[in-house]
Amino acid sequence: MKPIWTLARREMAATFDSPIAYIAATVFLVATGLLFFFGLGGGDDYFTAREATLRPLFDFAPWVLAVILPAVTMRLIAEEKKSGTLELLVTMPVTDLQIVLGKLLGGIGFLVVALALTLVFPALVLSIGQPDLGAIAGGYIGLFLVGTAFLSLGVMTSTWTHNQIVAFIVGLLLCVFFWTATDALLKTLFEQPPPALQLLNFQTQFSDFAKGVLDLRSVLYFVSVTAVAVVASTYSLQSRHWK
Amino acid sequence: MRGSALEYDMTTSASATPASAAVIQVRDLVKKYDIKLALNGVSFDVRAGEILGLLGPNGAGKSTSMKILTSYVSATSGQVTVDGMSLADHPVAIRAMLGYLPESTPLYHDMVVYDYLMYVGEMRGFDGATCKRRLAEVAATVGIRDVIGMTIGTLSKGYKQRVGLAQALLHNPKILILDEPTSGLDPNQIVEIRNLIRELGKNHTVILSSHNLSEVRQICDRIVIIHRGAVVADGTVDELEGKVANTHRLVVSMAPAAGAQAEQVRLGLAAIPGVRSAVLSHHSSLPVEADTYELEATTDIRPEIARWAQSAGHGLVELRRKSMDLESIFQQLTHDA
Repeated sequence: MKPIWTLARREMAATFDSPIAYIAATVFLVATGLLFFFGLGGGDDYFTAREATLRPLFDFAPWVLAVILPAVTMRLIAEEKKSGTLELLVTMPVTDLQIVLGKLLGGIGFLVVALALTLVFPALVLSIGQPDLGAIAGGYIGLFLVGTAFLSLGVMTSTWTHNQIVAFIVGLLLCVFFWTATDALLKTLFEQPPPALQLLNFQTQFSDFAKGVLDLRSVLYFVSVTAVAVVASTYSLQSRHWK
Repeated sequence: MRGSALEYDMTTSASATPASAAVIQVRDLVKKYDIKLALNGVSFDVRAGEILGLLGPNGAGKSTSMKILTSYVSATSGQVTVDGMSLADHPVAIRAMLGYLPESTPLYHDMVVYDYLMYVGEMRGFDGATCKRRLAEVAATVGIRDVIGMTIGTLSKGYKQRVGLAQALLHNPKILILDEPTSGLDPNQIVEIRNLIRELGKNHTVILSSHNLSEVRQICDRIVIIHRGAVVADGTVDELEGKVANTHRLVVSMAPAAGAQAEQVRLGLAAIPGVRSAVLSHHSSLPVEADTYELEATTDIRPEIARWAQSAGHGLVELRRKSMDLESIFQQLTHDA
């Protein structure tokens, strides 16, 4: 376990040493703040809804996470590949799986900080009304799970290339694809998409959390996606042996 | 994890392997990168406590051999045994015994030296106190105490190399693997790093790669010459020089007799008893019109050549024996025929 924590701590420090963490956190706060207060047009915004709820935040925060988290994960492995430090890292007495988990945990550290910064919104809602605390807790658990899944996809793309920009773009595309495009794709392919396939969509799985419903199947779904991405990342790191 | 790593360090640093026994055995290593054959059946032993030099031209397979030893990449076929353990079966345990400095010294340039070495120590399973103690010892050994609070990216190449050595030494490894440890350094830094490696060789088994002959001659106890993915020589400098001691290379410069062609002279030289081969190496017009030939002979036949030149009417301008030092051996073994 120790190498995983050591690596996670170093990645957290490196992330917050670089401007990307601050840009990403600012983008996240400003974007979710704007969406929270003013909505996206169409629906009621915070000032007219007269409802003590965080639904607007939970509806839109995953979109922002899908953009900023690949920016945080893009350097995790790609930078080590480019600078050659990966050679020192993988020749230490640690396994490739420990390396991937350490890197992912470093990214999760950023996610937790970013989510903690948004606690100002529930505090605001609590000060003016009596929101459903269960829905707020469920929403944050959902954001954490979907964010972790995005991070694991980002780590995976970072193992594929030396180039951070490529890692970012492919990571972003994957996150957006899983968040929303699977749905559009299914609707294009099928007149009546099979329900089992509809469950592949992150948004479908996430929607219950924002309502305060903690469905174990959805939790398992996001944990499984993360696990598959971690295993794929580990294999990608190991591919140096047979290239 | 922490305890076992420390215990491991203590057992490995108290070298249990008897001197002169092979601590590393490399057998028939083959490595294919796509269609390129980087190693083609490399075998050698590394004995406990020795400094072994892997010598060869660029692209010969030195770095690939080291990447396999450190299990950064796997061999296509062949076996490596370290301290009796198979590398294929115990890669993590073997990595714990190795200190590795890859070519070009990859480091985290945005980290402070102290933080970086603490990070390396913790990755190797040390607790904070042990890490600090080892860090102080290693910083003194490699001479980086003055720069311990500086950011790695701001250091000179020589200091970066020392930081690279420090991370390789931190866990007091039984074996040090150094890939081109002096490349890119200025002459003073090269001398310093060579002296440092010689010092380290007193307590560690060291494998270093180089394409610099004088370097391996100065530092190494034994040399393995690799060329085109194969071992072409293996022995001490004395042994390697002895191997070719019965070959004499002679350089003859001759102003040909009137009407004689260079080719006629060459054939005449080749016909002298004892000459194995005679090659026209170049034509020189200054200060005397003369051609230069390189001869390989079984004995030192300079008197015979002088007598032949006189009888044939050629003007002997120069006649000398080329010393068969390590450089000549290297050239001879790695000559692209």
